[in-house]
Amino acid sequence: MAQIELKGVSKRWGAVWGVRKVDIEIADKELLVLLGPSGCGKTTTMRMIAGLEDPSEGEITFDGEVMNAVDARDRDVAMVFQGYALYPNMSIYENIRFPLRMRNVPKDKQDELVRRAAKMVELSDYLNRKPGALSGGQRQRAALARAIVREPQIFLMDEPLSNLDAQLRQAMRVQIKYIQRELQITTVYVTHDQIEAMTLADRIVVMQGGAVQQVGTPDEIYSDPANTFVASFIGAPPMNLIDGMIKDGNFVADHVEVPDVGIKTTGQIRLGIRPEDCAVVSSAEQRHNMKGDVYGVEPTGDMTVLTLRVGEKNLEIKADRDYRSELGVQENVVFDTNRLYFFDSQSGERVR
Amino acid sequence: MASIRRVKGENLYIRYLILSCWGLFCLMPVLWFLSIGFRPRTEIITAQPIYFPTLSLDAWHMIWSDWPMAKYLRNSVAAIFGSVMIDLVLAIPAAYSLSRYEYRGREDIGFYILSTRMMAPAIVAIPIFFLFRNLGLLDTIWALMLVYAAINLSIVTWIIRSYMTDIPRELEDAARTDGAGDLRILWEIIIPAILPGIITAAVIAMIFVINEFLFTLLIASTPDAYTMSVALANFTGGSDGVIYNAIALVAFLAFVPVFLVVIAIQKHLSRGLTMGAVKG
Repeated sequence: MAQIELKGVSKRWGAVWGVRKVDIEIADKELLVLLGPSGCGKTTTMRMIAGLEDPSEGEITFDGEVMNAVDARDRDVAMVFQGYALYPNMSIYENIRFPLRMRNVPKDKQDELVRRAAKMVELSDYLNRKPGALSGGQRQRAALARAIVREPQIFLMDEPLSNLDAQLRQAMRVQIKYIQRELQITTVYVTHDQIEAMTLADRIVVMQGGAVQQVGTPDEIYSDPANTFVASFIGAPPMNLIDGMIKDGNFVADHVEVPDVGIKTTGQIRLGIRPEDCAVVSSAEQRHNMKGDVYGVEPTGDMTVLTLRVGEKNLEIKADRDYRSELGVQENVVFDTNRLYFFDSQSGERVR
Repeated sequence: MASIRRVKGENLYIRYLILSCWGLFCLMPVLWFLSIGFRPRTEIITAQPIYFPTLSLDAWHMIWSDWPMAKYLRNSVAAIFGSVMIDLVLAIPAAYSLSRYEYRGREDIGFYILSTRMMAPAIVAIPIFFLFRNLGLLDTIWALMLVYAAINLSIVTWIIRSYMTDIPRELEDAARTDGAGDLRILWEIIIPAILPGIITAAVIAMIFVINEFLFTLLIASTPDAYTMSVALANFTGGSDGVIYNAIALVAFLAFVPVFLVVIAIQKHLSRGLTMGAVKG
């Protein structure tokens, strides 16, 4: 049970910044997800929390106590790794028992704890096997059991599901969330998968280029993005970004026009609209905001992703599940004007 | 996979035939030693080859009764195993440091260790002689152990280092967050994980020194420290001339310990030699 705080934490290798002045507060029992593309500094940030990497600057505290000089093995954190990191020469039982042995938990207590942890991840029947004899999903569960067995102050999970196939990933996601709620342990979870982030997190920290882009609940991150990076990183297909101008209160771009957008500034601006906030209108006479030629039609079952060629750009629209069309046909699209986002075309920051 | 299953009937016989021929070819020197060792001296040097010689245990009795062959064998085995143990005790921590810690000059130190192997043995022979004389270790197997260990240390360090480098970093990170210190990680995680590599290095080291002659002759002056390789030289001079059948038997005896070791750890050895090439 711990509250974690990162104050101005940076990691530098010579002239290269891995992480740049990161401030994050993680509440007790919270599940915080660090989300970003590879190389954004999320794993380095987590490794600094674990004590596997020393910050070049800044302070990391657990419950107000500065941890910078505390060795990884004395921080009482447990970590789950992308590659599982099970000890190949030990049985699953020995793997799960290892952290207890290292912390001199009484012998008779060890067995009980190992069996309880194995039961939580449904591995009770596999305790005598070596890691090599388990499937990917079972190995991941064994790694999870090893992390939960001693009920640490903090869980750290570094892309634990990215080596699993999609179906297994969904099941493991639910299991991880359930176990985290059950044990009420503060958890930091690193991923590049936005679905994982959205479904698991109490709060998401979106990172890019070693810096925090936005911190917020999944809802906030999705419906109130702070800049174009967050806007386009979250959502599948991502938010459409259209460069244009504000003229007399209207947004105007190549083949796009949105009247009365309620933005006070004038000149260059970037409009953001999510694919699900666009709709194809059936006749050209109806009010519409955008014209484009059909470039691709991808039915996914529950909807159809329509790609339109608008001027020089491809923009995506989530159309009805039974929408079908031929390539090259011109379509008109109307925007939900309550869900428009505007960004500074230079800095990418949100304009409100 | 499929191709192995398709092998049936005749194909399999052909396969065994080829493998048997190859096995026979590889074992030929050993069979030849035995054939020469167990025939009388009169049947060794002849104008016509003798394919079915008379069985004679003369040489066999001679090497055990006229020479302290058991002692030589014991010296060989002790010096070799001792030296390999010294190598492992020194090389494992060195390899761990070279593969895992970041520090200035790490690559230089690694290369320096390897470069000790590049020196011509004759250059250090005289200094080593004086060194051991001053230490009072001349003519002891302790000196042999140290010299053999020195000969192999670089190669053993490098082999083990390359295995350690292949171990995923995550494994150590996991052990560290689980609460293990450096020594525990080395002992409980790294060493078991690269055991095939360590065994491979040890066997290669043994093979390198079983035939060591120059330094052994330099250090050993009495049967107290003679090894099998030096014992072989006993049969080439003197009033009896070159005693070929005794030489053959002694050579065979020198081959046996390493042969037995390799048989015993065969499984690990083949895994060790292919590890790193195939993702585990």
